[in-house]
Amino acid sequence: MQKLQGIAVSPGAVIGEALVMDTEGFRIPRRFVARDAVVDELERFDRAVGAAAVEIDHHREAVSAELGDKYAAIFEAHLQMLQDSRLRGEVEDLIRERHYSPEYAVSHVMRRYAQVFQRLESSSLAERANDIFDIEKRLLRHLLGRRREGIAHLTSPVLVLAHNLTPSETSNLDRRYVRGFVTEVGGPGSHTAIVAEALEIPAVVGTGPFLTDVSGGETVIIDGDQGLVILQPDEETLARYRHEAEEKRILATKLEPLRDLPAETRDGVRVELLGNIEFPYEVDHCIDRGANGVGLYRTEFLYLGADGEPTEEIHYQAYSRVVQAMGGQPVVIRTFDLGADKMPNVPRPEDNKNPCLGLRSIRLALRNLPVFRTQLRAILRASVLGNVHIMFPLVSTLLEFRQAKMVLADVMEDLQEHNLPFNRDVPVGIMVETPAAAMMADRFVEEVDFLSIGTNDLIQYTLAVDRGNRDVVGLYNPVDPAVLKLVAMTIEAADRKGIPVSMCGQMSGSPLYTMLLLGMGLRKFSVTPSAIPEVKNICRHVALPECKAVAERTMTMENARDVKNYLKEEVKKYMEEVPE
Amino acid sequence: MSETSIRRTVVVTDPQGVHIRTALAITKVVGRGKSEVKLVKQDRRTMATEVLQILSLVVEPGERVEIEAIGPDAAEVADALEPLFAGKFDSAIESGEHA
Repeated sequence: MQKLQGIAVSPGAVIGEALVMDTEGFRIPRRFVARDAVVDELERFDRAVGAAAVEIDHHREAVSAELGDKYAAIFEAHLQMLQDSRLRGEVEDLIRERHYSPEYAVSHVMRRYAQVFQRLESSSLAERANDIFDIEKRLLRHLLGRRREGIAHLTSPVLVLAHNLTPSETSNLDRRYVRGFVTEVGGPGSHTAIVAEALEIPAVVGTGPFLTDVSGGETVIIDGDQGLVILQPDEETLARYRHEAEEKRILATKLEPLRDLPAETRDGVRVELLGNIEFPYEVDHCIDRGANGVGLYRTEFLYLGADGEPTEEIHYQAYSRVVQAMGGQPVVIRTFDLGADKMPNVPRPEDNKNPCLGLRSIRLALRNLPVFRTQLRAILRASVLGNVHIMFPLVSTLLEFRQAKMVLADVMEDLQEHNLPFNRDVPVGIMVETPAAAMMADRFVEEVDFLSIGTNDLIQYTLAVDRGNRDVVGLYNPVDPAVLKLVAMTIEAADRKGIPVSMCGQMSGSPLYTMLLLGMGLRKFSVTPSAIPEVKNICRHVALPECKAVAERTMTMENARDVKNYLKEEVKKYMEEVPE
Repeated sequence: MSETSIRRTVVVTDPQGVHIRTALAITKVVGRGKSEVKLVKQDRRTMATEVLQILSLVVEPGERVEIEAIGPDAAEVADALEPLFAGKFDSAIESGEHA
């Protein structure tokens, strides 16, 4: 058994078969052949070598005729490498002695040769591995024939393990069969994290290198709550995770009837539970859980992985689908929250040493007005289809908000000139995710229609912790008293002015914090859709005076650990299940 | 003809070390001769007849390689091999086999 600690980015735990994706596509999983099939499989390998050799020789002749023998030498070398007697002996031994499938045996042996080069510091030497991969690919193509396409075509549930996943890789995966993700690199904002959360499957990122220890096909556990990946789990561990999965299933079944009941405390205080979504299809997850709306519709997916800037029509389609599906319930659309590096057709900033503190989100929008205006036009056009709200991310000064509103007013005028309908009274608000915005909340409330506390960034900026950095991630804590003070200031400012305030960070989705947040005065929680039933369950078990007492006591504490332990004890009083 | 045994140390001066073209040329020179040739780098030794095995020695620029040749034309083969480690390829050797 081998345990790897990474960063938990999408909750839940899952046991399943590993599928390794690397730069070459899917790694060939370890498969075995029957004892009596060994002779046939050896012949199959032999035929594949023969066919690959003929193919390489054709290439050699063609290149030689066109460019001369000197340029054809590389193919001659490939041919020699393919027919290397030691290599063949090694592959044949694995088939004969260990009963590996020829595909896996080839992949295994070739990778060992390639690793010799890949370990080298010098990049020109490391590149020699490419010649070996080239031969491997050729052999595999002959071994697999048409089945090669079939590997990408999943037919059974798998856990996808990769160094990193690109948007095109994840989009090529059949969603019905992917049950979890692990990537060696990446942090909470990575593409994998976003997709996993949207698919509601567990994911762990940033584990560091481990893929050389996995061939694919073996049993792996992904624990997206603890950020753990367990390779070759022992029976005891498997049994424990199976038990937990069973309990979770039972809890989910128990919570199902809550769908059509209001989120209301025992003493009748109404709470609104909304969903955070990234992709349009997630609106269905919100509806399934009985959400009161979409409290955060992230729009980054429209830009990520796109070849060019998305057109107004693409924006409009994505927004109208969600707005219409939610009927008259609110949909809060957040304008793009990205750095310049992730945006197509936006000039790279010259200084990008510290992207989190650099030109991104609303700052980038205000510097690239055409891109910003395209998005605003589409949102405004969708505003007549339902109950649309517009939210600006990472606002840190009043001036930024005023500027953004001016751009919005300008776009409105433009739409009016073209006789395009829109809702002139569309509510406009900001994310409170910088300490600056929280401390100025009493001023912001004079000008905005609503506030939404984005805890993920607020924690990062308040505590000066990058939660993608394993060395300091322990300092990242939603209930650090410094963070709680800023949250309290924001809620109080909104209450005094009588404007709505919600919370849309991960904190609001954890049942552990529900009592505290209710006690602090929060009545609107925007959470990942799968968290709605559990948060609702807590709401229905507690009464406001109890929550207020919890909040008051919490605010006297001086460190996050004490707060967390205290909250666990309190929640235990009302719930059998203590959330982590 | 009498059997001779040669052991010669060469320093690899080709700025790319022993690369795929070197390895191919080595196998050709050895293939034309009548001697058995091995290459040694530190404690690793391989027959000089297969490209993949030669490459797997991973010889970087500036490193030392020993040529071990046993056979009637051992000295000639070693003489023909030596310039290859300096990146000097005789195109006649490279293309000769297929001409």
